[in-house]
Amino acid sequence: MAVSLSKGGNVNLSKEAPGLNKIQVGLGWDARVTDGAAFDLDASCFLVKADGKVRSDADFCFYNNKNVADGAVVHMGDNQTGDAEGDDETVKVELSKVPADVDKVVFSVTIHEADTRNQNFGQVSKAYIRIVNEENGTEIARFDLSEDASIETAMIFGEIYRHGTDWKFKAVGQGFAGGLGPLASSFGVNV
Amino acid sequence: MQIRKGQRLPLAQLLPENLPDGSFQIQVGMTGLTTEVDFSCFGVDGDQKLADDRYMTFFNQPKTPCGSVSISLMNNRINGFYCTLSSLPASIDRLVITATIDGSETMSRVQSGFLRLVAADRPVAEFAFEGKDFHNEKALILGEFYRKDGAWRFCATGQGFDGGLPALVRHFGGEVADELPTDVAPARLSLEKKVAEAAPQLVDLAKKASISLEKKRLTDVVARVGLVLDASGSMTGQYRRGRVQEVVNRILPLAVHFDDDGELDVWAFSAKPLALPAATLSNYADYIDTVNGGWRKWRMLSYNNEPEVIKEVLAHYKDTAMPVFIIFISDGGVDQNAKIKKLLTEASAQLIFWQFVGIGGRNYGILEKLDTMSGRTVDNCGFFALDDLDSLSEQELYDRLLQELPSWFAEAKSKGIIN
Repeated sequence: MAVSLSKGGNVNLSKEAPGLNKIQVGLGWDARVTDGAAFDLDASCFLVKADGKVRSDADFCFYNNKNVADGAVVHMGDNQTGDAEGDDETVKVELSKVPADVDKVVFSVTIHEADTRNQNFGQVSKAYIRIVNEENGTEIARFDLSEDASIETAMIFGEIYRHGTDWKFKAVGQGFAGGLGPLASSFGVNV
Repeated sequence: MQIRKGQRLPLAQLLPENLPDGSFQIQVGMTGLTTEVDFSCFGVDGDQKLADDRYMTFFNQPKTPCGSVSISLMNNRINGFYCTLSSLPASIDRLVITATIDGSETMSRVQSGFLRLVAADRPVAEFAFEGKDFHNEKALILGEFYRKDGAWRFCATGQGFDGGLPALVRHFGGEVADELPTDVAPARLSLEKKVAEAAPQLVDLAKKASISLEKKRLTDVVARVGLVLDASGSMTGQYRRGRVQEVVNRILPLAVHFDDDGELDVWAFSAKPLALPAATLSNYADYIDTVNGGWRKWRMLSYNNEPEVIKEVLAHYKDTAMPVFIIFISDGGVDQNAKIKKLLTEASAQLIFWQFVGIGGRNYGILEKLDTMSGRTVDNCGFFALDDLDSLSEQELYDRLLQELPSWFAEAKSKGIIN
């Protein structure tokens, strides 16, 4: 049974799913049915050190930088309309391959051109992000963006982080003004 | 509190805690449009479909069967809905508040608009929007109340459809008849609605008129409408028995439909013509008995002089930019054939269509030959005779009245009389 996340909660992934190594972070939403510009949601993530900054710009994983840290984190590509079954975007993480100096991986979701299109998560129907155990397809955690992040346009969904030898996941659920650029800057990425 | 477009909130956060029955009011309003806005509330199921038509709450269906949603009126227009969510059947998953318009305007013309929640007569939350939030939409979903995890939530949706009401209906799983022009539904709605607001006694007639207008593809036509009433001596009985008043009742819905100002221009004539004050939805009821002191004081009831009243009507509409539809009632005894023929022939390049109706008379003279009269730019006249107003059903009467109008429009357009 997947944990429906609420802001601030955390879960020990290694205990929830013993032996967990490969996870898949899925992002999905319904294509727009009303008239107007399509909703284009982007998933991205940041591999950061204990100080909360990336080691280098290469640790910013997004649609233009899909393979990070020798395949530890792989972005599977961008769906621009939400017009498909299942997850619309996926990022895969192989925990054992995450470099030792990377303390956590932060996942974010942004709405592409949210300002010019005057869009926010609340306008998007059924937007969610979820963590799935890639080995068996089991959903471990899910977060409903449309309901809980309604007026945000960029959102730190959550982070996986080291806890001793375990990996934990924390539901951050925090909005971020300004979109993907400023968000990346806050993690020390030069954009 | 102010709610932003896209914002989703638990309703419990917006409403005060101890509302009697959990009832509250949704108020809606928009400014900046010249078109009248139609507000509706769709109660849809878990698949977002309107599975039960009775859960569309709007002017012609003012409340749901359960009474949980009902319209709220101000000056006979919908200004919102009363809502008691606790008594809604479980099958209704979501209440969707919508606004639709007809015609050429779009929602980008909205100056300001709002959806407001009012509890115990106090506004508690407002979603404000404006035209720049939109482009070519003619239908908007303003806001939605929906069930989630056992509680009601509200979303300020503010999105819509360029295709107007038909697109909205399709969105909720309804069917829109293909064979009819897409603007039929709103147009009919507005005629019935206008009449329902101001003159509920005429609703039945308005419905029948609407059906004929649809059949003749006249729903989006704009025209002025005039009524010419024979008031010669032989008509006395018809006036006394209220038959002429019935004519006014039946013609008025056409004027309300065609004419922006909803006024029916009226003339009576006998030896001389008499221009009467316009008949409207507010004065129509006892029009014949009260206007200008009532028909007995019009100084009519002499012989019938059609040419003079035709001249006066022509002069009245001399400078009109809008097509004119004249319904001319006569009880016969027409004898000034040459003059009538000359006037109508000369008038055939004008923006006026003359529908002559003979009621209960004989010897309609030239009127009976109008359809075959030569020498005109377009065929600008029609005629039919009835033994009595009731010899046709109301539906048939509208069909007959509108019979020749479409071909006149087409011909007048092709000749450049109408742009």
